[in-house]
Amino acid sequence: MYYFFTQNQIYIVATIVLICLIGIFLYLFNLDKKISKLEKK
Amino acid sequence: MKHIFLKLVIAIFSLITVSFALLIPIVTSPKTFFEFPIIPTLEEKARNIFFHVPMAWISVIAFFTSVFYSIKYLIKKDEVDDIKSSSAANLGFIFCVLATITGAIWARFNWGEFWNWDPRQTSIFILLLIYGAYFVLRSAIDEDEKRAKISAVYSIISGLTVPFFVFVMPRIMTGLHPGSLGDASGKGPLFEAKAMATNMRIIFYLSVLSFTMIYFWILNLKARVEVLYMKNFENKN
Repeated sequence: MYYFFTQNQIYIVATIVLICLIGIFLYLFNLDKKISKLEKK
Repeated sequence: MKHIFLKLVIAIFSLITVSFALLIPIVTSPKTFFEFPIIPTLEEKARNIFFHVPMAWISVIAFFTSVFYSIKYLIKKDEVDDIKSSSAANLGFIFCVLATITGAIWARFNWGEFWNWDPRQTSIFILLLIYGAYFVLRSAIDEDEKRAKISAVYSIISGLTVPFFVFVMPRIMTGLHPGSLGDASGKGPLFEAKAMATNMRIIFYLSVLSFTMIYFWILNLKARVEVLYMKNFENKN
């Protein structure tokens, strides 16, 4: 696994971009949940 | 739909910047603007600069936004400012975590270990602790006004430590990050150093700009939801 990443470094970049996106999406999911709660009232 | 044009600009601008950051080829001897020079030891990993650094940058901007609204709250005593302040700190924390994780992965492949206790890693860890305590503090106080006042003061004090941890400490100590004391590659962090080509630096600044705009967009959403939330609870009581 480590060797694969050192040979194909663009995958490291891809992982990092994915993590940034996952973080932002998790945040948006949370926000969405809060909005749904508001709508239910 | 207010400011739809602005949001469209943010979206298209970020898409173009991220595409450039990912797609411009890295070659040994660049001839045109659309070719990045190879940086020894970084190679393709150099692209991480366009994503990892903006995360850290946003967290700094977010913590400063939090300080700004805290001061505004203490002057005007408007609950909305308190909400904006805590929302900014919240987002800053999230991006701080993202900067730490992406940095740790990059460190694994450049420095050998996920965590090296490099000055910058240590300082971001302390920042996470400081802002973690901010949320503990907020959740511990039930009374609205008291909570707003105490957390505003806390946010201002912790905001004062941010420049020291992010801009001063990592530069006056020896470490693994570029720009640490005694680093031969240049005077500052990589994006200020000569190691970074002009076109790379332009894309880097565009990337920072687009992520900053995305941050303000999300902050705006978060603050609006929180204000609605507060108003709903007030009506219920």
